[in-house]
Amino acid sequence: MWFKRKNIGTVIVLIILIYISMRLTEFDLSKFKDFRNMIDFLSQWFPMDYSKLPDMIEDSFETLALAFLGSFLGLLIALPISFTAAWNTAPSKWIYHSSRFILSFMRSIPEIVLGLIFLTALSLGPFPAVLAIMFHNIGVLGKLISELIESSDPGPQEAMKAVGAKKGFAYLFSIIPQIWPNVLSHYFYRFEVAIRTSLILGFIGGGGIGQRLFNDFKTFQYSSVSLDVLIIMVMVIAVDLFGSHVRKRII
Amino acid sequence: MLEIKDLSVRFQGNKDDALSHINLSFEKGEFVCILGKSGAGKSTFIRCLNGLQKPTTGEVYWNNHSLFDMNEEQLRKIRREMGMIFQHFNLVPRLTVMQNVLTGTFGYRSTFKNLLGLFSAEEINRAKETIEDVGLTDQINRKVELLSGGQKQRVGIARALLQQPKVFLGDEPVSSLDPGTSNHIFNLIQDIHNQHQLLTIINVHDVHLAKRYATRLIALKDGKMIFDGRPEEFDEEKFHVTYHAASNQLDELPVH
Ligand SMILES: Nc1ncnc2c1ncn2[C@@H]1O[C@H](COP(=O)(O)OP(=O)(O)OP(=O)(O)O)[C@@H](O)[C@H]1O
Ligand SMILES: [Mg+2]
Repeated sequence: MWFKRKNIGTVIVLIILIYISMRLTEFDLSKFKDFRNMIDFLSQWFPMDYSKLPDMIEDSFETLALAFLGSFLGLLIALPISFTAAWNTAPSKWIYHSSRFILSFMRSIPEIVLGLIFLTALSLGPFPAVLAIMFHNIGVLGKLISELIESSDPGPQEAMKAVGAKKGFAYLFSIIPQIWPNVLSHYFYRFEVAIRTSLILGFIGGGGIGQRLFNDFKTFQYSSVSLDVLIIMVMVIAVDLFGSHVRKRII
Repeated sequence: MLEIKDLSVRFQGNKDDALSHINLSFEKGEFVCILGKSGAGKSTFIRCLNGLQKPTTGEVYWNNHSLFDMNEEQLRKIRREMGMIFQHFNLVPRLTVMQNVLTGTFGYRSTFKNLLGLFSAEEINRAKETIEDVGLTDQINRKVELLSGGQKQRVGIARALLQQPKVFLGDEPVSSLDPGTSNHIFNLIQDIHNQHQLLTIINVHDVHLAKRYATRLIALKDGKMIFDGRPEEFDEEKFHVTYHAASNQLDELPVH
């Protein structure tokens, strides 16, 4: 039968969870009574103000650059660590456990917290944002890549062993060719995420188009805000398209 | 040249030996086929010969040197003298035929040249010749995952040959190939065996194939050696014992 007792229980639990969450988040549709205000507010966004377009484009490139640099440096550092954090390639149990601990520690700190720390310690600007993104991505990519290593086919590794290759060479030559399309695919996903993160980091002074959006918003320059938002949307879509194109090419 | 003394292997958690008190000795020029049904211990045995598997007790001597007294570096030097081919080929995916064959030189170098993918002109020429010997010159720059099973095993053979081995080991190298292709591969192995005067030791499922090529047959059952002799001595009865009889009948049968 389609309906089992267990399913009814699940539905009841879900309804209770939804109710509690609505209470906690003050979910209230009656607030839409003031919907007219929203329309008034949004109408101030138009027409767009194109006068600062060149600066905005420059800031978007800064955002792209810091997202790329942060995630790519993260990848470079994560790669070797992921080999020590995979059970089949770790040099010893002790190193395996400590690398895993370091990676999960790095992952557990949200980028916004890292951003607040680095921005305070190193003064405002994109550089601390790069570090925040890099730090977090070492943790994330390190874990993902170590899982790829663990699930790679042991056959080629055994063949390299039988050939008499040194362990390091055996790992490099038998594992990297197997996993690199997936590594790149993970990387592009993290790059896309880094762009979104860098927008948020811009709000706390991390530079780029995010910081410009936040400043325009705070100073009520809504006709600039609309153009900022449009540029951000175009940028995110472009990177998404580019990423999926590259992923298709390599897999 | 290769001597096995009282070799036993028991895997953790198992109550029976996967290999039990094996004593054997092999000389250059022998073409040995090892028979036995699934689980008899064939893979475990062949993996002990180049130290991929450590025995629970017993020894393997290579030219009177004990493999299991060696450190990793010494063992590496022994392994590169033993070419090995596998049932599932164990090629490195996404690399070309040429690149896969060149990995056969890895045992001989330990410098960063390996990392950069640099090979000497001599190595590249030798790889080309070897690829020609196994008949894959027209596939040389193709990725290995695009090849047929028989072609993949030829790449495996070429990789092993590039090691310039003295011993050729095979763990059911034709078990995932059709009969026609299996014959071609065995012909190739036999040619190489004769040309380089190797010691060849191969696990096989197919008794007819083994009888056709081997100069010596060994049969394993439940980890014990139940036959060691010339192919023509392996008669109907021994075939039956190897593949069908229950293990409790074993004791009544003559063991070579
Ligand atoms: N890594 C392992 N851990 C535990 N038991 C193992 C392991 N490898 C092999 N065995 C056991 O050892 C015995 C011998 O296995 P082995 O793989 O050597 O047999 P085989 O003759 O090669 O069989 P097949 O024809 O199926 O390849 C089997 O009972 C198997 O279950
Ligand atoms: Mg086997």
